[in-house]
Amino acid sequence: MFGYVRPGGRLSDEDRKHFQSAYCGLCHTLGRRCGMAARLILNYDFTFLAMLLSESSTCQTRRCPLHPLRGRACACQNEALERSADYSVILLWWQLQDGIADHGFWGAIRYRLAAALLRRAYRKARFARPGFDESARRELAELARLEAEGCPSVDLPADRFARLLAGIAGEEEGTRRRVLEQMLYHLGRWIYLADAADDLKRDLRRGNYNPLALRFAHEGGVLTPESRQELGKTMDGSVRAMAAAFELAEFGAYRGVIENVIYEGLYLVGAAVLNGTFRRRKGQAKET
Amino acid sequence: MRDPYEVLGISSSATDEEVKKAYRNLARKYHPDNYHDNPLADLAQERMKEINEAYEAIQSRRKGGSYETGGYSAAYSGYSGDAAFARVRAAIAQGNLALAETLLNAQGDHGAEWHFLKGAICHRRGWLDEARRYYQTAVSLDPLNAEYRQALDLMEGNQNAYQPDGYRAMSTVGCGNDLVSRVCGTLLCLNCLSGGGYFFCC
Repeated sequence: MFGYVRPGGRLSDEDRKHFQSAYCGLCHTLGRRCGMAARLILNYDFTFLAMLLSESSTCQTRRCPLHPLRGRACACQNEALERSADYSVILLWWQLQDGIADHGFWGAIRYRLAAALLRRAYRKARFARPGFDESARRELAELARLEAEGCPSVDLPADRFARLLAGIAGEEEGTRRRVLEQMLYHLGRWIYLADAADDLKRDLRRGNYNPLALRFAHEGGVLTPESRQELGKTMDGSVRAMAAAFELAEFGAYRGVIENVIYEGLYLVGAAVLNGTFRRRKGQAKET
Repeated sequence: MRDPYEVLGISSSATDEEVKKAYRNLARKYHPDNYHDNPLADLAQERMKEINEAYEAIQSRRKGGSYETGGYSAAYSGYSGDAAFARVRAAIAQGNLALAETLLNAQGDHGAEWHFLKGAICHRRGWLDEARRYYQTAVSLDPLNAEYRQALDLMEGNQNAYQPDGYRAMSTVGCGNDLVSRVCGTLLCLNCLSGGGYFFCC
């Protein structure tokens, strides 16, 4: 999907290992559940989601094509990793469908190709998580409708994406459910805004909808300093809401990593995105 | 009741100074200002109560310690002269945002309080950009109202917000241009660690 949600540099060595093992664990889970092709969609955002949903973290050393000899510490397959893997496949599938609908015959070819590669994985994931599949389809269709209307608010389209993520908390119970709902809502809102800021220039060039272009003053796809300030503040509001919720539940072994993402990582990524330095860092990364 | 030392996250051999420090730190973390118009405010309030009780229990056990609790009372409740607005406030307090919005939209009077309440509904929903704009309008229509001003100030974020040990207060815009170029280098990138390509890393 995006890859915006990552820790900053203040991570302790131990937490770094936890993060890496969750990342490797998710990659292996994707491979096992959804096939080799699905491993290509591994990203930081869903690693973060897996850590949020995890109750425990046991590790084992495993080898993979990239680390064939020594292997790496890798979180054992568990419910949280399986859920994250399924969600990432389902979400990407519907984003590809959206891409196919948005582009003409030739433009949509690469989306069709990617969807064809993902079809088997998607079917399996849909079978395991019918509820999420349904809400992803519904919310993204609603989002596409707002985009087609040219909705001038940033909160309304962000709300659709945020709700989609918040729905994941539905499988939890009690306080943990309320806390996760709030965290995932604001995570979704933040990701949507960061992505919109990151894509602003490209969207304007191609004549695509971008809520920031309608809400904030900009010059040729570059936000004016005042707009940047306002957008930054509203993104910070979401990060602070995540932090406030985070402090109300237990997160086991991944607490340190999650804490770092919320108190440092997201601010750094947000700053890089608003400065236009983030996309450059991504280099030739695939656009989804 | 849980062991008060456990609640404050310290050992029973902690010095008075450590007890006070732990208490202050937790009180800052769960301060009502951090949960203003937040759907989880009740959970934070419960934590706050637990922390206050634990601190009081420790103080009374040790005797002679100075009592410093009760400084943070939670729950704000606004006043409204208008009966219709009072109903909207009650609906917001109950968490029934759909009802609150219906009641509010039925109002013809779009004054400062109307904008403030509209902002409060948006804030609860997590629509922070719209909430801020409604609060701003409310403040500009009635600049002397402390309640509206407070809501806007909290929305803008106070500098005293809680940070865990080792972290400084940050904001997205606060990182200046030159800082960001340096800071980007500090973003953790596992791909580099594992030496893999962008997507195929495990």
